[in-house]
Amino acid sequence: MIKKKKISEASIPTSSMADIAFLLLLFFLVATVIDVDTGIGLTLPEYVKDVKNVKVPKNRMAAILINANGDVLLDNKPISVTQIKDKLKNRIISKIDLPSNKKLIVSVKTDRKTKYDVYIQALDQIKQAYFEVRNEYSQQFFGSKYKELIETQQKEVQKKVPIIISLAEPESVKK
Amino acid sequence: MTFEKRRASTKQEIPTASMPDIVFMLLLFFMVTTTLRKVDVLVKFKLPEAKAIEKIENKRLISYIWVGNNGKIQINDGIVKLDDVEPIMYAKRQALPNIIVSLRVDKGADMGLVTDIQQELRKAYVLRINYSTTLKI
Repeated sequence: MIKKKKISEASIPTSSMADIAFLLLLFFLVATVIDVDTGIGLTLPEYVKDVKNVKVPKNRMAAILINANGDVLLDNKPISVTQIKDKLKNRIISKIDLPSNKKLIVSVKTDRKTKYDVYIQALDQIKQAYFEVRNEYSQQFFGSKYKELIETQQKEVQKKVPIIISLAEPESVKK
Repeated sequence: MTFEKRRASTKQEIPTASMPDIVFMLLLFFMVTTTLRKVDVLVKFKLPEAKAIEKIENKRLISYIWVGNNGKIQINDGIVKLDDVEPIMYAKRQALPNIIVSLRVDKGADMGLVTDIQQELRKAYVLRINYSTTLKI
């Protein structure tokens, strides 16, 4: 007579699984660096050996000068950094309908001793001005925000409101 | 008169059976989002804040340049001199033509140094840059 073997129920002990999972979780929690790569994007001009000075009509330029103390001049008038946005916005809007070779050029020039933070603040203001104008334009013509437009529409807006920022060649500073 | 203790008839236990599942879910999230840091940053820096910021859409293209509060420049794993920026970046651009350079510059750095680096980048023909900033709230 064959005795039927009692099959013992095979099971993996799962009570410690939570602990193991917690351990792993903790490791990843500690090791995680949620890196945010955000910032102000810019495209530098190509390097040319001898710089030719191109004359640009005065009304096309918005010259921003920042000195070592963080004082800002916009077209030779002293203003504060936070005013840049509003001043520029009007000028950008006024040039929306002009052809592309007459759009506003924002030129930023700094001293060698200017603090980087001030420069970024100024650049931020300029970008904000452009973004707001783009948004308003999109709202007006396409009825939604710039970011929500489809690509061809975005191109259209970009063509109307191009972001032209000129970083002036640094002057050789006399020591 | 005797007082009768009233007890709630419901159980007072938190069901823990699904805890591993929840933990695993969390675990998976963190595993997916984790990027283990590849380089040690040797300079001290504090990023400036800005509002009009964009995300860099393609992380693979990014290459970093750090500038610390003492004016030291770091690329890859080590501190480099200003003159070395151009050859290093040129080699990087050869390997990755549409490279984006993320400049992680300390708030208090001088613009002189930043413009010098930019000049070197221009010479190396690395033209797409990004001033790394954090969001100002």
